[in-house]
Amino acid sequence: MIGRRVALWAAASIALAAHGDDARVRTVYFNAWGGDPAINDYIAWAGERLEQEHGITLRHVKVGDISEAVVRLNAEHAAGRDNGGSMDLLWINGENFAALKNAGLLYGPWAQDVDGAARINWQNPTVRVDGNLATDGYELPWGSVALTFFYDGARIATPPNTPATLLQWIENNPGRFTYVQPPSFVGTAFLKQLLLLLTPAPDVLQSPVAENFDEVTEPIWNWLDRAHPSMWRRGRLFPLSGPAQRELLAVGEIDWSMAYNPSDASRAIENGELPVSIRGLHLRGGALANSHFVAIPYNAGARDSAILAAAFLISPEAQAHKADERIWGDTTVLNLKKLTPEARARFERAEHGAATPPPPASTLSEPHPSWNDALERAWLQRYTR
Amino acid sequence: MKVWPVTVLLACTLVPSAAGLAAAVFAGANLDALAAVLQAPGVPRAMLLSLWTGGIATILSLGLAHALVAMAVTGGWRQRLTTLSLPLLALPHLALGIGLVLVLAPSGLLMRGISPWLSGLDMPPDWHIVRDPAGLTLIFGLVIKETCFLIMALFAALAQVPVAPRLQRAASLGYGPLKGWLVTIAPSCQQQIGLPVAAVFVYGVGNVDLALTLGPDLPPTFAVILWRWLLDPSPLIQSQAHAGTVLLLVLTLFGLLGLWAAGRACRALVSAISVGGRRQRRVRPARIGLSGVAVIGWVVGGLAIVAIGLRSAGGLWRFPAVLPNGLSFTSWQSSFSTALSTLPMTAGLAVMSTLVALVLVLLGAEQVRTNPLRRQQLGQWLFVPLLLPQMTFLFGVQVLLVWIGIDGTALAVTWMHLIFVLPYMWGVLAPARAAVDPRYEQRVASLGVNRWSGWWRVTRPLLTRAMLLSCALGASVSLSLYLPTLFAGAGRIATAATEAAAAAGAGTLRLAAVHGILLSLGPLCAFSAAYGLGAVLYRHRKDVP
Amino acid sequence: MLVFDNVTLSVGNRPLFPSLSAEVSAGDTLCLVGPSGVGKSSVLNYACGFLPDDIEGAGEITLEGQAITQLPPNERQLGRLFQDALLFPHLSVAQNIAFGLAAGGSKRERLATVADALERCGLAGFEDRDPASLSGGQRARVALMQVLLAEPKALLLDEPFSALDRATRQTVRKLVFREARTRQLPVVLVTHDPDDVQAAGGRSIQLGSG
Repeated sequence: MIGRRVALWAAASIALAAHGDDARVRTVYFNAWGGDPAINDYIAWAGERLEQEHGITLRHVKVGDISEAVVRLNAEHAAGRDNGGSMDLLWINGENFAALKNAGLLYGPWAQDVDGAARINWQNPTVRVDGNLATDGYELPWGSVALTFFYDGARIATPPNTPATLLQWIENNPGRFTYVQPPSFVGTAFLKQLLLLLTPAPDVLQSPVAENFDEVTEPIWNWLDRAHPSMWRRGRLFPLSGPAQRELLAVGEIDWSMAYNPSDASRAIENGELPVSIRGLHLRGGALANSHFVAIPYNAGARDSAILAAAFLISPEAQAHKADERIWGDTTVLNLKKLTPEARARFERAEHGAATPPPPASTLSEPHPSWNDALERAWLQRYTR
Repeated sequence: MKVWPVTVLLACTLVPSAAGLAAAVFAGANLDALAAVLQAPGVPRAMLLSLWTGGIATILSLGLAHALVAMAVTGGWRQRLTTLSLPLLALPHLALGIGLVLVLAPSGLLMRGISPWLSGLDMPPDWHIVRDPAGLTLIFGLVIKETCFLIMALFAALAQVPVAPRLQRAASLGYGPLKGWLVTIAPSCQQQIGLPVAAVFVYGVGNVDLALTLGPDLPPTFAVILWRWLLDPSPLIQSQAHAGTVLLLVLTLFGLLGLWAAGRACRALVSAISVGGRRQRRVRPARIGLSGVAVIGWVVGGLAIVAIGLRSAGGLWRFPAVLPNGLSFTSWQSSFSTALSTLPMTAGLAVMSTLVALVLVLLGAEQVRTNPLRRQQLGQWLFVPLLLPQMTFLFGVQVLLVWIGIDGTALAVTWMHLIFVLPYMWGVLAPARAAVDPRYEQRVASLGVNRWSGWWRVTRPLLTRAMLLSCALGASVSLSLYLPTLFAGAGRIATAATEAAAAAGAGTLRLAAVHGILLSLGPLCAFSAAYGLGAVLYRHRKDVP
Repeated sequence: MLVFDNVTLSVGNRPLFPSLSAEVSAGDTLCLVGPSGVGKSSVLNYACGFLPDDIEGAGEITLEGQAITQLPPNERQLGRLFQDALLFPHLSVAQNIAFGLAAGGSKRERLATVADALERCGLAGFEDRDPASLSGGQRARVALMQVLLAEPKALLLDEPFSALDRATRQTVRKLVFREARTRQLPVVLVTHDPDDVQAAGGRSIQLGSG
């Protein structure tokens, strides 16, 4: 039985590689970060619904970082596999999107023409501009989030909410704070959030990195140099991802975590993975915000099916399910005013857990994508021994 | 002797290895990229870390394996040592790594066990003990695994050394078991376990599985740096990664050279010691000490499996609680169901690669059954892929697979698994085949039965237990392969190992533990089935090997 | 009739012994004697088609008028016994004996044949025993019956009695020669034991210098 399934798999993969760009290809390989079981479950649910609605099989290719898919797409391009590529849909944003769009490795534009695209809240700047690069219909918004900090309310009565007060707290509570190691997604986000709040001239960040890098970033290095000696493991070791940091918070090694998702902690509490005393906050002065998207590689083997799958992902049903904190808790990209009353009710009925902070008073847009790389490299250079 | 079975056997493993190596060297021979590698933050220290962790782990494992085997053989607990080593040998590195974090970390099982009643702590201490900068935890994990591997290799080597008479003579001259072993037995084994020791070192230097979970960071070991670069989208970093894999090869060869020199020096030292005339007076302390070390290794390894089981159940696990909150069968079941999706692919690959390897090994072993020299040479050739850093030749293999157009298929992954499964299965089956009395063939023929029918009716039954054991070993090896699956599978083929590594790499311990459970259960089931069947079959026939 | 016609064995062009020519008629026994390593067993190996790679064999062997050295080993119809009985350890005594039995016949007939063979060698009722539980003499007898049921046209015996104690040796020897004579089989016996030569009728050929 198992042997037969493997044989079928092999046959299917070879067939796919041979003549892929056929509208009848009903298996969509969705390359998406697979580090969070809740998100994996959500994608599995979407797969079941797609199977029912359109007879499409959604295969979640779990990657540790979507950059792996970028590598593979580059390799396929170099090998001349311009049809029947191994990936059909990517969960992507920021620098990875920029890398693929600039290299011409994405199919498009298609996003504005997808069924239901009119319901998207195009007023939200982060769905039109992804890290300073216009999306131009090469990717379809899937969710919008703000960088959120979580702390243990049982140990911290009045949490610091500015970089300066946070630094003070860290120095008063040695070993109880850490952040995710850049170049991991949330880690770099933390650096950008600090940078946006600490730099005297945030406007510079909207242009590509120039010679002014050292000058502009000096405040964050000062901040980190002071904070590290009082951080978890004296700032010499860092958790490798958001979920890893959440686990440290859960067992009690640290008192803080952060996530690019306001309801991260509420969902974890609901699932019994975090203590009920956890609370969330956005930094005063503006939370770093962005959207995440789905895109289709230029050589996708199942392009038509991928577009159908993407359309389902922004349907009110899928978005409401995703917004549910017990499922995922990701903020919708839809404009609720454009929905039918019944559909809107599903969103409005949703309750928020105690750890979900109210929406941030103000949000800060991502810096130009070139800052990601420069910040990550500078960080490694400074803190690798 | 027919040539084709041997040719097929060797072609299956040497062609991709050679092509992979060539492609890797070709892609990596880029001076600018090489310079960039050396200037990247932390690279010199990372290289030293790789050599240090791999080298020290190899030396410690070899010493421990020798001492434990010496004690076991002279103390009459050889069988017990085998029984104790097998489960740890079968446990995939990745699962052990995940488990050790859960045991040794400041918030791990050990600290929980003594908190707060003994330690006075109600919060985990901020100690940098797991993923420590000197790589000690990584060395500890490597030693647990590799000692077991070398114990098995030593037992295999001992088959050709007259142990008892030599030790008796040494004892009659007043030498205790340890020194008697060192001067009379160890030198005879050195030649034969040279390859396994080299494989241990190469794995230690180049591994990602354990270094990812237990190794230091900022910088990590060189292999982990390369692994991260290979996953980076920038073409510049990619070329850096390719150049780095060549450097890793050079580094490994350099280390092997050093190890070989150290081996020579040890031999000279042993010769010097053996004419020094000193004798141990007291054996008991050494015996107790070594048993203690063995027990610690085994208990920690066992705890690691328990910890994986507990963590995979999910639920809140605040320090210093010894058990997770709301631990129940249903919570465990729901975690486990997420891991089950990889079961068909994981098991399918293990079964396919093991069966293909079984056929190839049986065909090859049949050809060299009466020729010990050929048998040994063939074994050494099959071993070659284990002597190349995986990162280096797998990258090249990927290029080869893309060129053939089968990358990302189960076929390609089965082939890759075959390369790693073959040498282990050969190691078990080829000697077993050679040990079947060749005169049975004459008897079978003189009874008018032809060769194939005779093989099926006599040789096969006599090899049944060896076949079962080698299949269990092959399946365990296949199950544990991470990098080969990742590279040949183009990320599309998800097995328990790739999922566990992805989760461990992202630091999601709970998810890693869930997949780690599958990784640990697989070999356990395979070996239990092999031993169980072996015990039931021919249970009324005493002389069946 | 078994005929050795100018049989020579050599290792790298060096002959092991001057050529061997002999005839063994039905029911007769020829003993091969000579120092260890001279190639007595190799003569039998050559006859059976199992010469090791490093020994070169030449000369023809004919059995009942048919040249056999080019035949596949399993078609030469030579019954071979070794110093060890070499029973198949995974089979019961009865299965061992039935191993060489030609296909065909009902199950009952086959069982009867096996029971009859056991009866004749004095091991009636041993059908389901594990070969490992038999004594050396019992094993030798089972091995003989196994070979005989395969209906060979000659017996090649390679020191089959040397591992047995004195009393057993006589019994087994008697059994072997009795069966060979009843079936009118030519026998070649490799031995060191003068008693064997005497019991076999005294006809022997010395291979190599004695």
